Amino acid sequence: MASLDPRLNRVDIYKYHQELQPKNSMDQFETYEVFVQSKESKPYQHEGIVHAPNQDMAFLFGKEQFSRRGVCTGLAVVLTEKIMVSPMTDNEENVYDHVSVASEKAGEKETYEVFHLFKRGKHMQHQGSVTAKGFHDAYQQAAGTYNTGKVVLNVWVIRHDDILFNTDDERVIWSTLSDKKFRDAIAYKALDKIKKFKEEQTASN
Amino acid sequence: MNELAIKDLLYKMADDQLIIGHRNSEWNGLGPILEEDIAFCSMAQDKIGQSLAFYSILHEMGESDPDTVAFARNAAHFHNCQLVELPIGEYDFSLVRHFLFDTAEYLRFNALAASSFEPIAEIAAKIKGEIQYHVMHANTWIKQLGTATDDSIDRMQKAINIAFPYALGIFEESKYEGDLISDKVFIGEHLLREQWIQEVDSVIATTDLVLPDLAAEEAHLGGRYGEHTEHLQPLLTEMSEVFSIDPSAEW
Amino acid sequence: MYGGGNTFEKLKSKAVQDEDPEKLAEFEARIARGEKIEPSDWMPDLYKRQLIRMIEQHAHSEIIGALPEGTWVTRAPGFKRKLALMAKVQDEVGHGQLLYSAAETLGKSREDMIEDLISGKSKYSNIFNYPAYTWADSCFISWLVDAGAIVNQLANSKGSYGPYCRALDRICIEESFHLKYGHHCVIHMATGTPKQKEMMQEALNRWWPPMMHFFGPSDKISTHTEVLMKWKVKMASNDECRNQFLDMYVPKIWELGLTIPDANLKKNEATRQWEYTEPDWEEFKRVINGDGPCNKERLAVRAMAEERGRWVRKALLNPKSKYVTPLA
Repeated sequence: MASLDPRLNRVDIYKYHQELQPKNSMDQFETYEVFVQSKESKPYQHEGIVHAPNQDMAFLFGKEQFSRRGVCTGLAVVLTEKIMVSPMTDNEENVYDHVSVASEKAGEKETYEVFHLFKRGKHMQHQGSVTAKGFHDAYQQAAGTYNTGKVVLNVWVIRHDDILFNTDDERVIWSTLSDKKFRDAIAYKALDKIKKFKEEQTASN
Repeated sequence: MNELAIKDLLYKMADDQLIIGHRNSEWNGLGPILEEDIAFCSMAQDKIGQSLAFYSILHEMGESDPDTVAFARNAAHFHNCQLVELPIGEYDFSLVRHFLFDTAEYLRFNALAASSFEPIAEIAAKIKGEIQYHVMHANTWIKQLGTATDDSIDRMQKAINIAFPYALGIFEESKYEGDLISDKVFIGEHLLREQWIQEVDSVIATTDLVLPDLAAEEAHLGGRYGEHTEHLQPLLTEMSEVFSIDPSAEW
Repeated sequence: MYGGGNTFEKLKSKAVQDEDPEKLAEFEARIARGEKIEPSDWMPDLYKRQLIRMIEQHAHSEIIGALPEGTWVTRAPGFKRKLALMAKVQDEVGHGQLLYSAAETLGKSREDMIEDLISGKSKYSNIFNYPAYTWADSCFISWLVDAGAIVNQLANSKGSYGPYCRALDRICIEESFHLKYGHHCVIHMATGTPKQKEMMQEALNRWWPPMMHFFGPSDKISTHTEVLMKWKVKMASNDECRNQFLDMYVPKIWELGLTIPDANLKKNEATRQWEYTEPDWEEFKRVINGDGPCNKERLAVRAMAEERGRWVRKALLNPKSKYVTPLA
């Protein structure tokens, strides 16, 4: 049976349905959370996920899915699994109110990035870094450094080294985005055409 | 400056980009994984956008408008290399073509950023970021599939074996090669090919793939002067199906 | 995107009255306050299952929706249309991805969702089971089907589930060019050469009946739908959406000199409601249950895309990888 799509007529599309096997459980890979910095003066913001087999692919995919329209200055991806998430609070309660008192930790100090959610429905936003020995220490440090009075509903803490950021050299990949006018509503003005058409209709009536 | 030489250069670049962009758009909505589908389509749009930029320069030099030039010529009047007109095949072939072609594009535009012909130099400098990303994408895929499993390595190798002699056709010399080089418009296909082989070699060396023996390979030439495979005319007929209902209409 | 007729039909879930009354009260109070529900919150089983079905079907509609317009991607006339149509189809795949991601936060894997689509278990917007015979068909879809989808999306963007709302925000931003592009195409056809006008009118005649099916039959308001509206899952009635669509777009269609194949279509100035010939809901049921002109092809294409890509995914899969539910 011929398709209306010439691309599909070049392939036997019906043979595949018969050969269909059930998907194995990781067919669509793991997920990576994607963060975008739209301008240098703005913080990285969580935008969503990509499914990818590894971090390098996740970066390529994240760039396409979350920065193909807006010019941006930074992109970062991290395996969902690597993110430590605090509880989510309710109704104006600050999640940091429940952080226990700091105690001595063992191990090496590393950098951790801290993200806050200030309002349900909004996006996680980067606040800054802390150096700490482990996630719990980092969380407590964040409570000390970034709990500045505004109610925080949710906190994400991520080891800096688990995150893949673009390099400064790579920023050039976003340089021509603003030229792609064909994807902006503004390139599709047609009021004049409608006006002209209406005038012609009236004239011929 | 030799105007015919410059037009020759512009036509072949624009035609290459239009045809490969068109081929890659055939994967739109049909890719192996959603995220990659989106990525491949961005690059196809970039290529077509680049071809439009070059057709626009040609228009300023007296050729017809870009739509007419792209949608109303027959295969015998197209100057793309035969590599880009080949069917998309499976994803292995499309990726290998993407790798071989885009690596050449990257080096070509690198050289053209220093062209004595201002309009080309300007565009080459402008699209540097786009083509850099295209190569980043291609290299990532070649490296990963070229080392992953016996199956993926086997498929990619077969695709390279088919594509490579066609890829050599990218570097078919122009009738005006001498002028282009002496007028410093372009470094010339010979030099470009050398850079390309080095670059492609260095990426392939990080995989379990091998490049065919250069000495044994016969390049598929002719595309630059209208000699094409049986695949180009059907592509063009399809591409211009709606346009040719009425070339003077505004769509 | 309207999920296709069975989105709000009853589904199997724990009965609302069997849920913990205190937790349920807190949950409902949060929604009443206008606050969003996030993935880690307690939620009634019905809420979760209904959302999964709705968001998943919306995602499938985007992925399948890419196919009728995709039919014309290689034949778009001229650079402007070629680039725009590629970007639009790309966006549809992108929106599918965003929506699957939102549904994943509720615990259903993308593998399962894709399988349910291909097997026919999950539905998608019925309008995509119709064929795009000409370029004008793709113009109709790009303008008016998108317009219908936007009516739904805007309503749903005020819903209660955080991840779905965030996905819809992004989708709405990207859609703004789709609608303008579609309208631009139709304007050019309708005000163009006699051949173009004829092609556009014929396409419109063919697509109008499925478009009238788009928002689904008149809702029978039941306790089931009442609960879903209280929980801000169902945001507007099918009739309200349909009327809004007609109100916004029928005048725009008429001003281009195009006729709509329904002699009864008119706005009742007294009630401010549009009147029209009642659509054939038997046909709607038939098509959504598999007996439409393109159902078989649409699913075969998705099966093909998945199978053809299987070797790629298999090669890259790290055997040590393990799935974790996305966060937001």
